Amino acid sequence: MYDYVVIGSGIIGSLITRELSKYAVKVLVIDKENDIASHQTTANSAIIHSGHDPKVGSLKAKFCVLGNKLYDDLEKELNIPLLRTGALVVANGKKEETALDELYQRALKNEVPEVSIISGEEARTLDPLLSKDITKALSLPTTKVTYPWEVAISAIGNAIKNGASFKRNAHVISIEKNSTHYVLHLKDGSTIASKNIINAAGVNSDVIASYLEEPEFKITPRKGEYYVLDRKAVGLFHQVIYPLPTDAGKGVLIVPQVHGNVLLGPTSTLVEDKECYSNTKEGFSYIKQHLKRLSKEIPFDMIIRTFAGVRATSTYEDFYIKESKLHKGFYHVAGIDSPGLTAAPAIANYVVHELLNIQAPLKTAFDPIFQKPKPFHSLPFETQQKLVRENPKYGNLICKCEKITEQEIIDAIHGPTGNDTIKGIKKRARAGAGLCQGGYCEGLVLKIIARETNKPLTEINYYASDTPILVKETKTNEKN
Amino acid sequence: MKKTDLAIIGGGAAGLAAALSASGSSLSILVIEREKVLGGILNQCIHNGFGLHMFKEELTGPEYANRFIEDLRRENIDVLYGTTVIDIQKKDTFLLTLTSEVHGYETLEAKAVIIASGCYERTRGAVQLPGERPKGIMPAGSAQRYLNIDGYLVGKKVFILGSGDIGLIMARRMTLEGAKVLGVAEIMPYSNGLTRNIVQCLNDYDIPLFLSHTVTDIKGKNTLEQITIQQVDEQFNPIINTEKVFDVDTLLLSIGLIPDVALFDSLKMKKSPITKSAIVDQSLMTSVEGLFICGNALHVHDLVDWVSKEGEKAGKYAKQYLLANRINPKNSKAIVPGDHIRYVVPHEIDFNNVTDDSVTLSFRVTKKMASGTFKVIQNGEVIQMKKAKYIAPAEMESLTIKLEELKSFDPITLSLEETL
Amino acid sequence: MRELTCIVCPVGCHIEIDEHQNVTGNRCSRGQKYAIEEITAPKRMLTSTVKTKFKDTPRISVKTSAPIPKELLFEVLKDLDDILIDNHVKIGDVIIHNIRNTNVDIVSTKSTLCY
Repeated sequence: MYDYVVIGSGIIGSLITRELSKYAVKVLVIDKENDIASHQTTANSAIIHSGHDPKVGSLKAKFCVLGNKLYDDLEKELNIPLLRTGALVVANGKKEETALDELYQRALKNEVPEVSIISGEEARTLDPLLSKDITKALSLPTTKVTYPWEVAISAIGNAIKNGASFKRNAHVISIEKNSTHYVLHLKDGSTIASKNIINAAGVNSDVIASYLEEPEFKITPRKGEYYVLDRKAVGLFHQVIYPLPTDAGKGVLIVPQVHGNVLLGPTSTLVEDKECYSNTKEGFSYIKQHLKRLSKEIPFDMIIRTFAGVRATSTYEDFYIKESKLHKGFYHVAGIDSPGLTAAPAIANYVVHELLNIQAPLKTAFDPIFQKPKPFHSLPFETQQKLVRENPKYGNLICKCEKITEQEIIDAIHGPTGNDTIKGIKKRARAGAGLCQGGYCEGLVLKIIARETNKPLTEINYYASDTPILVKETKTNEKN
Repeated sequence: MKKTDLAIIGGGAAGLAAALSASGSSLSILVIEREKVLGGILNQCIHNGFGLHMFKEELTGPEYANRFIEDLRRENIDVLYGTTVIDIQKKDTFLLTLTSEVHGYETLEAKAVIIASGCYERTRGAVQLPGERPKGIMPAGSAQRYLNIDGYLVGKKVFILGSGDIGLIMARRMTLEGAKVLGVAEIMPYSNGLTRNIVQCLNDYDIPLFLSHTVTDIKGKNTLEQITIQQVDEQFNPIINTEKVFDVDTLLLSIGLIPDVALFDSLKMKKSPITKSAIVDQSLMTSVEGLFICGNALHVHDLVDWVSKEGEKAGKYAKQYLLANRINPKNSKAIVPGDHIRYVVPHEIDFNNVTDDSVTLSFRVTKKMASGTFKVIQNGEVIQMKKAKYIAPAEMESLTIKLEELKSFDPITLSLEETL
Repeated sequence: MRELTCIVCPVGCHIEIDEHQNVTGNRCSRGQKYAIEEITAPKRMLTSTVKTKFKDTPRISVKTSAPIPKELLFEVLKDLDDILIDNHVKIGDVIIHNIRNTNVDIVSTKSTLCY
């Protein structure tokens, strides 16, 4: 019997779980997929927004500004990468400058720190590749960029260290309520009993809610397509560049990423299939067209990858963070679309330390620090030499594009937040995330996973369970 | 710190030929190979068709590689196996940072370097192939490695995008091992592969070839379920109402090869945007003195025999450079790709450092032609002409210019005139 | 009248052959021989792999020492399925003599002692 089950191990569910692990309560976070954070958290702009854009007085505005500051703490505690890029919202011409000014006023009302309006020339001094048509810009120095799924994985890792549990492939198909607790029925036939449920199920949060009630919100999924430039584009742009926002959202952006890549996107289209992450020709044209307003010198030939995500936009115009009116102990943290990633630490604080009204005491032994080794390629040469002498597996280079060693892949497999899939290793160690997209190293990673988990090669999955890369062994009728 | 006169990065076809050609003097040569064996991509090319020119025999890839590997062993050329170059800098000499499980992190000092690092396969992302991203989509070469080296099929119902030789060979290979190949799509109106491969790999197994088609949608959440191909117009835009849908679990991509030279960006060698690799002179030296390059790392070849020839050249010139120990100040003039010529290697002639009496040009054309004449032109004058038949972009051509036939130290243009 | 593409050399002549085995379109005599053989008794080289018990080389590549009748390809592949190499082999070693009575051998094109 758990005190709290968190449904969904994305950025929201994982940070909530971590906050819960501060208390003397029994916590389980579950995910229907084969890994931590498989949906929105792995398909967004990775921006920690300043809070300039959300409606004044909304939870989105409040939690975005709070969350932005809290990432400084997360950086120290969870050792997550945080790129302090700052941002510019750019305007072309008088009409846009008026809209820019309104945005500036909104930023001030939202108490966004350090905002200012600068000229087009000043903008181009900071980022020389910006379009010459830009006449003014809103400077947002508190904007940052992180590596979202690493935050989720590290948060769960820290939570587990402090007593929480994680279960993957746990797909909730119905919820039963009796007098003392809830029973979650999973697709595999098993059940989980818990006194409280926190619904952080992203695009499926309305589905989870519907198992017990008519939800007050409905998810209206919006897809966003993205295009990723190889990390040799590092330094072409220094800040996050936004156009002026529209009803569809913040617009098509240029976003430097923590590992050197540059992200272009997203689009924003209403879709029916919540988990259909397809890129389209039209989406790419749209992005190229809209990026012209920001810069005319984007090297599209450096694109190495495309991806798409679906936002859990809901019919409720703000974040929906409430206890169910009908069912005590059933909490919804839903409709968390942008600025969800930024707001996540503030949402977690609010949910756990205010909304839940936890009676149990705080743990005195809670350790907020989650240690992990830095990427091997970023260490000084002498340190690398020393480490390799102690552990030769640091000498065996597996991913030549991103310079990832065998030991880093081994580390990504084992441990409470390790994963045994090709994509899970890519998320953790970055093997396969570079120029050749795993063309060289996928086979090597596959063999390492098989060895480390003592499984035959045909059981190593790409990502979901039952997605083996190697489908059939050839020549298996040996007689001699 | 390890030291060598010549470091050769890559022990595949190009590196092997370069090493052999550079040997036979007091110079120390070190081949750096990231796999545990020499041979490079030849090890997984188990089909035959290699060596018709070099050995006047039809060999399989591994047999072809073995000819060079045995010679290398006889010459006592040093090889570092399981070793990757992760950094390269130049002060007076080259400083390479090497990593391996056996020796850890080391630096190697080399007076000259030959880049023979081959190429990698163009990815789905690089062409923005639309659709979802389930398991089951991979480069044809990756599937080839899993099948021929490890012994596993990556799928049972296959479609192949790209009719270059890798795609055609894999169509046959997957079929022979029990998979069903439902078709090959090629965006161009003609196949890039050898006609014999169309016969032996597609026609023999009734595998349809869809010319002027490309993949326009990919469906499948976790595993690939379905692809859609469409006919394209002359601007390669999909034509509506030409969709054909295939239920497959595998899509192999054979959509191009790209020289694997990102590592050498740190040396800031001048690059050609067409070949996406270094600009070289007649000695296959890049704009960085002492840095040579050959094989697929320089420009993508279709016949390994020419890779070996090019590796031989690089080895010879690297050896010459090291033994002479100096070079004259450069006087480099461009070899310009003219009409119907996509690119020419070498890209320039350094007239002050020529050591032979002729220069051989390797080049590709932009258009398929039944018959045409290649012309070497200098200052408006035709220096040399060569008639040719069955000219195609997929087949690298060559032409040798005797330097005494050049009238001056001015740029040369190579062009192709179609015979109609 | 049958139309063929000759596969003997990279030119790939477009050949026509009639019911009396008159061949046109070939640029050399090899093309004539190929065309006649292709319509009477087509042959192909087969390259494939066989399984070994050696961890470092789980498969070695093999080939037929000469072209074999096209209709036997899948039968021969079944024969290869039955092979498990448990002694070290080198390039050129015969794996199966006279496969399916063709007078053609299955020959190794790789060594199990690569390392």
